[in-house]
Amino acid sequence: MGFFQILEKNGWYFLTSLLGGWPETLSVAVGALFFALIFGLLIALLRTSKWRALRWPATTYVEVFRGTPALVQLFVIYFGFPDVGFQPSPMQAAIVGLGLNGAAYLSEIYRAGIESIHRGQMEAALSLGMTPARAMQYIVLPQAIRTMLPPITSFAIVLLKDTAIVFAVGVVEVMAIARNLVTETLQSAPIYLMAGALYLCVTIPMARLAARLERQRQAWQ
Amino acid sequence: MDQLPQIYAENIHRWLPELLYYSLTTLKIAAVSFALAVVFGVFIALMRTSTNRFLRGFASVYIEIARGLPIVVLLYIVYFVPPQLFPELNWQWFSDFTGAVLGLALHGGAILAEVFRSGIEALHKGQREAALTLGMTPIQSMAYIIAPQATRIVLPPVANYAIGLLKDTSLCSLIGVNELMNNAKSIAFADYQPMAVFVLIAAIYFAMSYPLSLAVRYMEWRFNVSR
Repeated sequence: MGFFQILEKNGWYFLTSLLGGWPETLSVAVGALFFALIFGLLIALLRTSKWRALRWPATTYVEVFRGTPALVQLFVIYFGFPDVGFQPSPMQAAIVGLGLNGAAYLSEIYRAGIESIHRGQMEAALSLGMTPARAMQYIVLPQAIRTMLPPITSFAIVLLKDTAIVFAVGVVEVMAIARNLVTETLQSAPIYLMAGALYLCVTIPMARLAARLERQRQAWQ
Repeated sequence: MDQLPQIYAENIHRWLPELLYYSLTTLKIAAVSFALAVVFGVFIALMRTSTNRFLRGFASVYIEIARGLPIVVLLYIVYFVPPQLFPELNWQWFSDFTGAVLGLALHGGAILAEVFRSGIEALHKGQREAALTLGMTPIQSMAYIIAPQATRIVLPPVANYAIGLLKDTSLCSLIGVNELMNNAKSIAFADYQPMAVFVLIAAIYFAMSYPLSLAVRYMEWRFNVSR
């Protein structure tokens, strides 16, 4: 049977099965994004701190998580943590793994954003009697968000694409379903091409959005 | 459970030689796909900046698709799809290694094409014109004026891509290439020591990628001085 006959006969079945994986894919992506947004900010604040004792662990964290593959990090969490007495579910392992990995990348984006705001802003806020934390919260971060929004959108795209590896720790997302369908029907060509097309339907509009945000940011400056 | 140092003390003499042997496969995948990606990248960048509308369109579509697909999906498509679409051809030569290298290089070509394009576009046309006006041959102007400046712009992102590529080779384990990651899996589950083995290969990957990231930092610092 040719490619198109197979597509005509089973295409709908393949498509609906693959679409069934999207809730899991999106849960991992959104969960990891939130985790990374919060934890990454913490790391960025530590890295821009005055005290070396705070800067050093944050720098080490970033180097280690950026220097090793995300797949290895996922395996340490999912297969390694049971050795030390904690068994995460596949979903937990995926969110924490991609979240910790993403935090290292996001912290660099945050740091660049914070550093792009002129020192005078912080000094002015402090001389008005704000505490450093309030100055960061009300003066520096709101201004930095403008610079940070385009790279954060690009980061979200990368994160969404990275969720395609979490089937390796047992999350039943789009790729896992694609692999199962191939085992079931042996039709790798239509299934993997369809899975790829589904990813493109999400990542290409997001990339367009990131490019538009970047153009707007440049227009502001 | 035994403590990690004790586990390492007992097993490292068995694990490390094997893992280091397979990290050579990892380096081989990275090196071959890097070389291929540079070639693809140059071609796509030239097409992307060409005056022919058809070539430009093809290049932008290629870049958008290759950058929009997760690398794993691209690897699965490159390795599993062609043999099924064209079953009448001979696919004996198409090993998992070839598939992995081709998939990574197709992705890298798109990334590097954008890097090269930004390098070409960052240089003002006047640079070349001025060099030609001063009596340099086109080759001289390329060698002494354009190339040194373009290298300074392009080299740090290319090295960053190489770091990413080195880590992405771990994804080849998912289509069955027997490299560092895949071998670590076999050892980890055979000896029932996942924590120890996966932390060990994390260290090996780190040892391979960290020198590169130091080089990037040095280049960024070095190339910035004269700006």
